[in-house]
Amino acid sequence: MEAVWSALAEQRGKVMSERRFALGIAAAFAIAGVAWVLLTDVLLYSLTSDRALAARFETAKGWLFVLFSSVVIYLLAHRSAARLVRARAAMMAVVDSIADGVLLLGRDRHVAYANPAAARMLNCDSAAELIGMSAPVFSRRFRISYPNGALVPPERFASQRVFDEGGPLKYKALVHPPHGRELVVSVVAAGVRILAGTTAEMVVSVMHDITESENLEHLREQFFAAAAHALKTPVAVIKANAQLMLRSPRPEHADDAMPAIVRQCNRIDRMVQNMLVLSRARSRTLRLHFDEVELAPLVAQVAREMAFDERRNDVHAEVGASPRVLADRERLALVLRNVIEDAQRGSAAGTPVTVRVTQQGDDAEITVGYQALPVEDGSSAADDEYDKLGIGRSVAETIVEAHGGALRAERSGLDATAHICLPISMEASP
Amino acid sequence: MMYADVLVVEDDPDLADVMLLALREAGYPVRCAGNGREALDAAAKQLPGLVLLDVLMPVMDGWQCARELRARYGRTLPIVVVTAAEHIRSRGHELGADDVLPKPFDIDEFLRTVARYYGAPHPAPSVAAP
Repeated sequence: MEAVWSALAEQRGKVMSERRFALGIAAAFAIAGVAWVLLTDVLLYSLTSDRALAARFETAKGWLFVLFSSVVIYLLAHRSAARLVRARAAMMAVVDSIADGVLLLGRDRHVAYANPAAARMLNCDSAAELIGMSAPVFSRRFRISYPNGALVPPERFASQRVFDEGGPLKYKALVHPPHGRELVVSVVAAGVRILAGTTAEMVVSVMHDITESENLEHLREQFFAAAAHALKTPVAVIKANAQLMLRSPRPEHADDAMPAIVRQCNRIDRMVQNMLVLSRARSRTLRLHFDEVELAPLVAQVAREMAFDERRNDVHAEVGASPRVLADRERLALVLRNVIEDAQRGSAAGTPVTVRVTQQGDDAEITVGYQALPVEDGSSAADDEYDKLGIGRSVAETIVEAHGGALRAERSGLDATAHICLPISMEASP
Repeated sequence: MMYADVLVVEDDPDLADVMLLALREAGYPVRCAGNGREALDAAAKQLPGLVLLDVLMPVMDGWQCARELRARYGRTLPIVVVTAAEHIRSRGHELGADDVLPKPFDIDEFLRTVARYYGAPHPAPSVAAP
C-alpha cells in the first residue's frame, strides 16, 4: 500500500514539476521579450535620432524577434512531441509484451485496441478481430459468466460499468472462447479521464488468466479432502481402542489393542509420507536423490515388511533377476509399499500377493500380482471410487514417472497385475 | 436359540475388531462382514437387529448394500451408516439409512447410537429371514 502511495505522490510531483517547467519557459520567454524590446530600443535610440531609420530598425528587430521566437517554439515543440512519441512507443511495447490481456474501449464503448495477449487468451487469430467489438457481441462470442456459471449481462461488464459508475472495478469471471478451453480470469477495468471527476474518455480493461492457480487450488482442496478421509479410519481405530482401555483397563485388552494401534500408526506414517510426496510433487518442489539401486534386495526387503502384518494377505517375493537402476531408494521403497498395500487390500482373503523382478531389454520390471476381489455391478467400487481415495496410487505413479518409468495396471478376469517399469540405462534416467 | 444381533459391516479388520469388542463388552450379540456382499449373505442367514454399515468397501459398497437391504427387508431393519466420508448425512437418508455416524467416533456416542436403534443390550429373539 505504501508503494502505491509513494507512486501516486511521485506522479503528482511529476505533474507539478511539468507545470513549473512550462511556467518557467513562459516567464523566461516574457522576460527575454521585454528585455529584447527595452535593450534594443535603448541601443537604437542612443545610436540614431533619425526617426525614419529608427522605424525601419524597429520593424527589422520585430521580425528578428518573430524569427527567434519561432525557432525556440519549434525546438520546444519538437522536443515535447519526440518525448510523447517515445513514451507512447514504450507504453505500447509494455502493453504488447505483458502476459495479461489488455482491451482499450473508446467513447463509443467498443474495443478500440487489444494487445496480442488478449487475442491469444480469447483464441483469436489476431488482435484486429477484437477491434470494434461491442459489449453484446463480445458477450455472445466469448460467453462471459460468473464463477457460478450464470452469464454476465453485457451492461454488467466491468469495462461498461466504469463508464457510468467510475472505478476501478474488479471481478472474477469465466471466459469461453470458441474452440478454446474455458479460462478463469480476473478482470480489472479503470477509466481514463482527462480531468478528475469527469466522465471516462476511455476504459482500460485488463484480463489476468488465473486458470492454472484456480485449478491448483481445486486440486489442493481435493487432496486435503482425500487426505482427511484417509486419516479418519486409522484415527478411529486408535481412538476407540484408547477409550475402551480407559473404560475397562484389562491387560488382555491391551494385548489385543496395542498391535492394532501400532499397525494404524504405521499406516498413518505411510499416509503422511505419501501426502508430503504428493504435496511436493504438485508444488513442483519434490527432490529425488538418485543412486544406483539393486532391485532384488530392495523388493525382498519391502515384501518381508509388508508380509509382517498378519492381518493382511501374505506377500511372496520371486526375484529371478536383479537389475540395477538409477533411483531414489527411499522413494522407490515407498512406491513398492503403496502398490503392495493396494494389492493386499484388493485381493481375496487368504490369497498371496506375488512380487517379481525381471529385466526386459533396457527396462527393469517389477510386477505385483494378486487375485482381485470381484466387484459387483452398481457398486461404486466398480467405478474405481474405492481406489481414488487412496492417494498411494497417485504417489506411486508420480514417483515412477519422475524416474522416467511407468506404472500400469492390468486385469484379466480376477487376475490383477501392477507393472512398474524403470529404465536401466543412464540416458533414460532423469 | 438364535438372537437378532448387531451386524458390523467394515472392511478394516482393526476397526471391525474394536467395534465388535465394544459391542460385546456392552452385552450385544455381534457378527461381522467385510463388505456389502458378505453383509447380504449374513442377513439372509439370520436377520440382524441392527446393521452398522461402512460405505467405501471392496466387492460391494455400503450404498448398494443399503439399497438391497431396504429392498429385501423394508424399513423394519435399522441401518446406521458409519463412515469417514464428508457431507454424507443427506445421501444416507436418501438411501434409507436411519442414521449416520461419522468416523472417528466416541465409544460412548457409538454405543448410544446402537442403543437408540437396537434397544437395550440384552439378547432378543431372532426374526426369521423371509
